[in-house]
Amino acid sequence: MKHEIELNGQPVSVEAPADISLLHLLRDYLGLTGSKEGCGIGECGACSVILDGRLVNSCLTLAAQAGRRSVTTIEGIRGPDGVPNDLQQAFIEYGAVQCGYCTPGMVLAGEALLAHNPSPTRSEIREAISGNLCRCTGYQQIVDAILAAALRRKEV
Amino acid sequence: MPEYRYIGKPAARVDALEKVLGTARYIADLRVPGMLCSRALRSTLPHARIAQLDVSPALKVKGVLAAITCEDFVDHGRFGYPVEDMYMLAWQKVRYVGEAIAAIAAENEEVLEAGLQAIRLELEPLEGVFDPREALQPSAPLVGPHPWDSAGLPRGNLLNHYIVSQGDPDAVFAECAVTLDEEYSTAHQEHAYLETEGALAIPWPGNTGLTVHCPSQSPFANRGNLCRVLGLPVEDVRVIQPPVGGAFGGKDDQLYQTSGQVARLALLTGRPVRMTFSREESMIFSYKRNPVQIHVRLGANADGRLRASDVSLLVDSGAYSAITPFVAWRGTIHAMGPYRYEACHVTTDVAYTNNGYTGAFRGFGNTETTACIEQAVDELAAKLGFDPIDFRLRNCLRPFDVTPHGQPLGEDVALVECLEKARSLSNWDRRREEIARSQPTEYSPGDFRRGMGVACFFHGISLGAEGADSAGATLSINADDSITLTCGLTDYGTGSRTVYALIAAELLGLDPGRIQMLCPDTDTALDSGPTVASRATVVGGNAVRVAAARLNSLLNLAAADLFGCLEGQVSRDGELYIGPNEEPASYPRVAAHARKMGLTLSARGRWSVPEIHWDFDAGRGRPYFAYHFGAQVAEVLVDTGTGKVAVTGLWAAHNTGTVIFPQGILGQLYGGMALGVGYALMERVNFDQGFIQETNFDEYLIPTALDVPEISGAFVEKPFAAGPFGAKNIGEPGMVPTAPAILNAIAHAIGRRVRHLPANLERILLGHDLRKEGSNLACKLGLRAKVT
Repeated sequence: MKHEIELNGQPVSVEAPADISLLHLLRDYLGLTGSKEGCGIGECGACSVILDGRLVNSCLTLAAQAGRRSVTTIEGIRGPDGVPNDLQQAFIEYGAVQCGYCTPGMVLAGEALLAHNPSPTRSEIREAISGNLCRCTGYQQIVDAILAAALRRKEV
Repeated sequence: MPEYRYIGKPAARVDALEKVLGTARYIADLRVPGMLCSRALRSTLPHARIAQLDVSPALKVKGVLAAITCEDFVDHGRFGYPVEDMYMLAWQKVRYVGEAIAAIAAENEEVLEAGLQAIRLELEPLEGVFDPREALQPSAPLVGPHPWDSAGLPRGNLLNHYIVSQGDPDAVFAECAVTLDEEYSTAHQEHAYLETEGALAIPWPGNTGLTVHCPSQSPFANRGNLCRVLGLPVEDVRVIQPPVGGAFGGKDDQLYQTSGQVARLALLTGRPVRMTFSREESMIFSYKRNPVQIHVRLGANADGRLRASDVSLLVDSGAYSAITPFVAWRGTIHAMGPYRYEACHVTTDVAYTNNGYTGAFRGFGNTETTACIEQAVDELAAKLGFDPIDFRLRNCLRPFDVTPHGQPLGEDVALVECLEKARSLSNWDRRREEIARSQPTEYSPGDFRRGMGVACFFHGISLGAEGADSAGATLSINADDSITLTCGLTDYGTGSRTVYALIAAELLGLDPGRIQMLCPDTDTALDSGPTVASRATVVGGNAVRVAAARLNSLLNLAAADLFGCLEGQVSRDGELYIGPNEEPASYPRVAAHARKMGLTLSARGRWSVPEIHWDFDAGRGRPYFAYHFGAQVAEVLVDTGTGKVAVTGLWAAHNTGTVIFPQGILGQLYGGMALGVGYALMERVNFDQGFIQETNFDEYLIPTALDVPEISGAFVEKPFAAGPFGAKNIGEPGMVPTAPAILNAIAHAIGRRVRHLPANLERILLGHDLRKEGSNLACKLGLRAKVT
């Protein structure tokens, strides 16, 4: 079937089977490999994308369910000039990145949170990223980074 | 401490940008035209003879291009270190559920499945052995035939036997006022790296050799195995390491097999072949942390002086040895904890079983034994009525002490400082006193109980008596004056590449932004041995230091020539070279002059650890050239109605020497501690008659952001003379004391001890396990052999 979605602000149309996951569509038909598969069953959050403003596991979302809806992946987060946005920059500054495999999903979880709650507490941040597993950092630096980005956005 | 420009200063990780942008290309993201996919047919039985194996029907499936068995490799693809007991694909029999038997390459996933189904396989079940103690009985079925080439081993399923021996503990116990005699145990732990394994082989023109992209920890070991099993000379195999999505010790042996399989398939088809894994397949076929059963006897005087220890360990290696013999050896060396004893005896048996197989995992044997000995020490302190930290301070190793192995220590030992720092950081005395004051001894089910516990430890730096121990680094200045740095050790998320870039920048006096630190590639980096044992900062860092000093002296020669002075008359101001008459020359000008002089602007460095020796028969010697020391405190809140434990605080103090990369060292520490939280409370891979029961993150739970508290870490930066800029290691040590600190906190909270890891809900609430009714179906996902 023809899948039509609004991907990172651009309308996209691609021919692919009807029964594939959004993750499969993104990685294998659209060549966007920033979203990762960690478990395939919606437990780890490495495949997180933002669908109409909500954080979803793209491995559990049918590509067809994203039809005519807005999908934001990690490839759509950076600034137009290719540089990291303020949250991505905070991830670098605060040491929120180690092996990097959970990082795209974590950045999107942070963006989804800040879109709804511009002034989160540390425990609200922990809650918001609790569906995203990280085995390297112990999470603290990720909380630091999201909090720092939130504070900076309020100053602007 | 000297003032540094880059060492210990804020810096960004060299690979952070591509990772936050999502542009880093992991193995599953690599795609080349014409690439075939591949998969292995795996054993559905824990122990069986391969009665029939015929892959030719798979080749009749349209779209299947190659099918291989162990017969496609030299010597059936036998490999392994230190014991050569594994094969690229199973030979004659299978020893665990998930063991690879045959592999095929096909045009796409659908064809792959049909091809695997077509393989004719007959497995004739053999009696299995699933308990390491039973495995050592003379009547037990034998797991492996000829695993160990040393005289006398194996004896039945006994894979290895190690001892530490000093004096006669029994004689001392007889004189002790208080003794302790307890059993402890730990469980299989899954590494749970977020990225599953994979490898991509790209054949060269004419199939004369190949390049393998593989996120293993040890690309040179991988190349060595590939050369051997493919029968190729070293120059015909290149191994490149892409970004690694976490490893924690867990990405070696099974990736050597995977690499061998895709390499052979690529050479047969003349096309690139990639193999990647679902989480289920990864958990079924990969090695785990080995479980240990430990019997501890300790004796002390009434005044709190620890006098003797006698520890025996039984390690379940599973079906193959992988690196478990060395894991068990490290566990043996650290089994008595970092204390002074008049007499100490440790004895370790390592047994083969059909429970999957085990290998390296962060802490490498010491995580297991420290989890037990630190509980035992705590129990003894309680018996004596001592505060846990006071008791440890009274007995711990200090500078210039002699260890129970007979090794005189140096001045770098800082365990007392670590214990005291952990005490002040956690407000130990005030909090413990508050708990004692506010919490009655008696409680009713449903009450919430608070507790605080401590654990301390030592951890031998680098490989020790496990093998040859050196690393190499290269530095070269490119035509545009950028600098390329390599080291043969892998950064699998640890931050070692950034550490190397900072060391080189400091010594060269040049901005780290000029340095491009590459990932290991066997064609450009120098063989540096395996990336294990927390050896990256000390061993790799020293290699970079040596290379940088050599390159620096070349630039100094060029500057002296430019200024017409002697080398010793050149000084530095930032990136500027200053001559005797205060005349400055920029780095690019000096580099250009060096080229004009005909100098080649590159250098190599190699560093080997100082001599160590271990007498395996006597159980004495100098097992490691130095040790990392540390202490951690945990605070817990136990719901005595459900058994649920919340870790509400974690504090750590580690004797790391000079901190080179502050952000990186905290990441390693906090990450290690989060792994320790999982190890203490929730993580256990169950094998039911050899069938793994947890195959994904819905059944195998690891800590989320809500399970790990805010952590506070501190470093005792007592410079370590043998380390680069005085640095010690951090990778494994961060994890080692976390679990026992939590277990000691639980015992403090509820007045009862859970001596078996993990301290899950039922063990805390009931004091024993609820037996899970095992379903072998869990591990049949992806295992579709026809079994007769």
